[in-house]
Amino acid sequence: MPGPLAGVRVIEIAEGVAGPYAAMSLGDAGADVIKIEPPLGDRSRGWSPQTSAGASVTFQSINRSKRGIVLDWSSGGDIEIARRLLAGADVAVVDKHSLPAGLSWDAVGNAGLVYCAMSGFGPHGPWRDRPASELAAQLASEATASLGWLGEEPVRQGADIGSMYAANYAIQAICAALYARDDSDPSAPTGGQRIDVSLFGSLLAMRSTMWVALSNPDEWWGFHLDSYVKPPDHGYQCRDLPIYFSVARVDAERFDALLDELGMAWARELPAEELERLRTDGAGGTGRYAHELKRYWERGFANHDAAEVIEIVERYGCWAFPMHDYQRLTEDPQVAAVDAVVAVEQSDGTMLRQVAPPWDFEGTPVEVTRSAPRLGEHQAEVLDELDA
Amino acid sequence: MAGPLDGVRVFDLTLWMVGPWASLQLGALGADVVHIEQPGVDWGTLGAGVPPLINGTSAGYITWNMNKRGLFLDLKSHDDRQTAYELLQTCDVFLINMRPGAAERMGVGYEQVKAVNPKIIYTAVTGWGEVGPMRDAPGADPQCQYFTGFWSVSGERGGRGEVYRHFTQLDGSTGNATAQAVLMGLLARKRTGEGQRIHVGMVRAGMALQSHRIAEYLATGAAHEPLGSAGYAAAPDQAFQCQHGDWIGVSATSEDEWQRLCVAVAASEAEGDALSGLGEDARFRRNLDRVANRDALSAILREAFIQRPRHYWLLRLGDAGVPCGYPMSFETLQQHAQVIENGYIQQVVTSGWGDVWTGGPPWEFSRTPARLFGTPQPGEHTGDILDELTQRRVSADHPADESVPVIGG
Repeated sequence: MPGPLAGVRVIEIAEGVAGPYAAMSLGDAGADVIKIEPPLGDRSRGWSPQTSAGASVTFQSINRSKRGIVLDWSSGGDIEIARRLLAGADVAVVDKHSLPAGLSWDAVGNAGLVYCAMSGFGPHGPWRDRPASELAAQLASEATASLGWLGEEPVRQGADIGSMYAANYAIQAICAALYARDDSDPSAPTGGQRIDVSLFGSLLAMRSTMWVALSNPDEWWGFHLDSYVKPPDHGYQCRDLPIYFSVARVDAERFDALLDELGMAWARELPAEELERLRTDGAGGTGRYAHELKRYWERGFANHDAAEVIEIVERYGCWAFPMHDYQRLTEDPQVAAVDAVVAVEQSDGTMLRQVAPPWDFEGTPVEVTRSAPRLGEHQAEVLDELDA
Repeated sequence: MAGPLDGVRVFDLTLWMVGPWASLQLGALGADVVHIEQPGVDWGTLGAGVPPLINGTSAGYITWNMNKRGLFLDLKSHDDRQTAYELLQTCDVFLINMRPGAAERMGVGYEQVKAVNPKIIYTAVTGWGEVGPMRDAPGADPQCQYFTGFWSVSGERGGRGEVYRHFTQLDGSTGNATAQAVLMGLLARKRTGEGQRIHVGMVRAGMALQSHRIAEYLATGAAHEPLGSAGYAAAPDQAFQCQHGDWIGVSATSEDEWQRLCVAVAASEAEGDALSGLGEDARFRRNLDRVANRDALSAILREAFIQRPRHYWLLRLGDAGVPCGYPMSFETLQQHAQVIENGYIQQVVTSGWGDVWTGGPPWEFSRTPARLFGTPQPGEHTGDILDELTQRRVSADHPADESVPVIGG
């Protein structure tokens, strides 16, 4: 059965992470996506590490569900081919900073086209023509204030959240604009439009809770506010692995028994105020005193493996979860149960395991089958279709 | 001009963050989002009471429930449940984030809602998924963020992985994936005329946000060691300290950007033997070479950046087209021309909590602009919405030729 976006034609002229991931998601959902690359290919082909298929893992895992062609913007003829592809498309996903003028929204002349321009810092303002990178956008949006030490070398999120947030917002905007389009004449839709999405704006939107929290809080504390003055948080180290947990739901009597089970009877001798904090403020690193209290918990947890602590804490009606690295994550039975990982056959015949799209559609199921294209793999096929 | 989802109505049975964040987006896109809450709610418990509070209510609740109208319905009462079904007949989208089975107990499982409105896009959001050993475990941002490994790829170079101390990113990202799924469902319905049930879970959304990082592990079997400010895939792509101690992030993620960076560094006349020949140095010829020799490259560039003030580098790298940026705080962002001119942080009026700052719409539409309006009080629009349903009932009883008098004009 076709996915929800069956029949939608997408042209992608984008590199790196944000644009390609957005276009891939549309392709995963059933759209026909054609990726246009420059003669040397999408920059991410050359990133590290590489796969046996001759491109990076990043490229291979965020460019599936597409066909690929190569066009050279130093050739007027190639720009004209791209313009004709855009003239016949429903959606364009483009990188604003590297696009030739002849392929702007105004120049294409397709009244039904939903044209999404991705940029670093947004369509207006003094930085409108500045390219961003993942790092530049994370820094500028103050996302890095929630990692590392204040004033020291910034620590970035290792996942490319700025690019992924922008991709996710682009997908929303594209689908919303397609919905708003007038398709009453299916052969010539009208009511397309230009959309702008940036890494910077997407990161700022995703920290909205922080901006509200900073507006006029009754009290200056709580994890939406004071995280940037706290030290790096590595979770609660057990004998083998770190965990996160909360015992905030345990009443005073059972709390003593919980401490005994964890081998923390000594904690009952703490000053009353400190003990009460230990009982009520142990909300997984998010409480007001969580940082100061951590040493007590870790002293107790050092004698147990993570699985034991989780089992004990859960028995008291509270929650505790393992902190997985990618190995433990991808081997976890829950991850297997929800089909989070798909294997896709690459152009060299090898299988590449990668993360599945996040949605389950019961009426229009999504199936991931097509691997990322080799550079120019579908050149003849796509150009033939264009001439037909 | 109205937003792209003008005319779409959402039955928003959501709480905490992940569901409300999805309907927040749909409301910004122009949908009429009717946020359903239990009558008599204690404002201190909204948004699970997560601090900090503003006028006694969680800042989270205030953030996540903008762009909506508030309706009180007690789905345990027979009368209110009938009202819910009547409202559902006027809705395009049903949204819920409760543990598996909760909707059915309240009379709003998919089969129950479909019987009332077969074209509904019924969307359920869960933490861990609808199947598997953890399906009934409590799951919100912190738990799913730890579980899905974000922490394992962030941290000081050479140190342990660390948690992103901002526990909204996975709720928000899952909410965003949910809004996508709703929109895709609406598009499919535009084509086929049929509604459907959709599910989105936080674990998969959290993994999707790390798609290529996780794929790297799956392909190589090698764990990522935290690299501080540096990226895994390309080099140079890290922060450097400038002359007065300020940090600047500099990224060359393509061969072009690398060559432009080399020119800019050579032109800086910073002292260092390696600087002028950087573009020809065989150790740094292609990105894979630079990643393999990351430490040597970073040592050379560190020496260059420390010799000039950050503003010098921002100008020179900006002119050269090398991506760069620096850490900014809320106070700076609030007043920054780049933020203001794009409306990325704005002030809005709320119904119970005064004026607050929040993120503006992250998209700009040329034809159907997005919108932003402040949080209603719980149940604030109950009277209006019940009146609308009454009007609809009256109109149905009295066909168009017996027009209903409009009181008050």
